[in-house]
Amino acid sequence: MLKYLILGAILVWSLAAPALAQEGDAERGRTIAYTCTGCHGIPFYQNVYPTYSVPRLGGQSYGYIVSSLKAYRSGERRHATMQAQANTLSDQDIHDIAAYFVSLGEDEE
Amino acid sequence: MKIISGLSAGLTLLLFSLPLMAGDPNRGQELASQVCASCHGNDGNLVLADNYPRLAGQHEDYLVFALKAYRNGDRQNAIMSSFAQNLSDQDIADLAAWFSRQDGLKDLSIE
Repeated sequence: MLKYLILGAILVWSLAAPALAQEGDAERGRTIAYTCTGCHGIPFYQNVYPTYSVPRLGGQSYGYIVSSLKAYRSGERRHATMQAQANTLSDQDIHDIAAYFVSLGEDEE
Repeated sequence: MKIISGLSAGLTLLLFSLPLMAGDPNRGQELASQVCASCHGNDGNLVLADNYPRLAGQHEDYLVFALKAYRNGDRQNAIMSSFAQNLSDQDIADLAAWFSRQDGLKDLSIE
């Protein structure tokens, strides 16, 4: 009986876990994202070689931030500075940062 | 001597104006409604699937950079690569002009 309860609990947990993993803590993300503002928080800040404006991130979608940071961390997406930054981030950090960026699109008006 | 300085001034002007290929937002809107809108929305504010980016209000030159990176394979994404293959430089400039002029993304502020 106990065995089934444990198995059931594992099953329920495994179903719920992916949903839980989506939830980043925007407040913690705000603190971690301080580093990001060094480039992404300065209006008209330019990447060089090649030259282009660093992307605007306030209000960006949750999943896109998560997948971009993970792609930089794995090296699948290349950019020296972003790869270096993403290498220091845990999955939790990434989700928290994403939650913070999303929240910036919500508090308008 | 005058000719040389005039020529070099002209060349310099030309060099600076080359990367600023003007995009036409109206043509961009038309193209976006045919190609991009089903996933990104007409104005670039739709996020159809979880990991799709919002485009509205993104910097114009960043959108150009990103689309060209998809087109030349620097950035890999099965869906975006195939769309970008079909875009000319002018198409890309026009799309970027359109999406960058819509209300959406904001700068991060330093707190």
